[in-house]
Amino acid sequence: MKQTPLLLPIFVSFLLLTSLSYAQVQTRLRVFEASNVGSGIDSSLRDMGDQLKSLFSFSSYRLLREEMHTLYPNQPVLVPIASRREIELTLIGKQRNVAEVKVKIKQEQKDILNTQVRLSPGRTVSIGGPKHGEGVLIIALSAHF
Amino acid sequence: MKDICSSILRLLNKYFDQEVTPRERILVEDHLKECRSCQKSLKFMEELRSLINLQIREATQEEDLPWLWQKIERGIHLQERPTLWQFIQSWLTSSPFLKKKVWIPVVATLGSFLLISTQIFYKKIPSHPDLSVVEYVESQTHNIMVYEFDKPKVTIIWLFDVVDKDSTAS
Repeated sequence: MKQTPLLLPIFVSFLLLTSLSYAQVQTRLRVFEASNVGSGIDSSLRDMGDQLKSLFSFSSYRLLREEMHTLYPNQPVLVPIASRREIELTLIGKQRNVAEVKVKIKQEQKDILNTQVRLSPGRTVSIGGPKHGEGVLIIALSAHF
Repeated sequence: MKDICSSILRLLNKYFDQEVTPRERILVEDHLKECRSCQKSLKFMEELRSLINLQIREATQEEDLPWLWQKIERGIHLQERPTLWQFIQSWLTSSPFLKKKVWIPVVATLGSFLLISTQIFYKKIPSHPDLSVVEYVESQTHNIMVYEFDKPKVTIIWLFDVVDKDSTAS
């Protein structure tokens, strides 16, 4: 009988934790510069090497930033990227193997990009095009859950 | 005597149908030996019965009732508890709707209907329902193009600089 008051909070916290872990999504963000100055792929982008070669015609890929972020529903995560730009990621919802994520890229109070994507394990969403240095900026976003 | 006759007449029908008890039977037969009017009554009953039987026999011979016979036959078969396959076979042979003239057009119509409906159904379902990764996309500063690939699993959102018309004209 004495154990009951202790067991109840443990059970409730267990339920809370499991529900939170179900709702959260682990994301990997890689920001890199693609250009035709020089050649070669950064060692931390090797796993994307074949993909990059088949999709783009740049000769050089240089990693600028790599981050892992855990997203919780409706809690925006702001990550600064190169050239006074920042990316905002917000988890909108999650269904089995698909996470709906809102992505905003801002520069000087302007929305360069405002989009919502469905991320599934194994799929990469690459956002590219903004000029950076001698080349362009590419942001690769993927989810793990 | 008349009282005896009236009571015997009441038993006569039962006697004629052989439904009397042995004691009643002896009573009726003893009385019939002595009473002419009761004998006449019995004879009349016999004649009437044979006449009715004859009429029925003639009626059934003149009227060909195959349907009745089929029903009786089916009843006999049902009593024998046929297997499911036998039941289906008998139903197939007896049912007028399952003659070749009927079922061939019916099957052809159903087949063509199924073919058309499945074509419509499959057209309505997209072949790659999970391919659409980008729900919406907009930009205040750039033109956007979206590329989706299934192998490798990559979606590319590419931002193009907006070309200023005034600057290009000058």
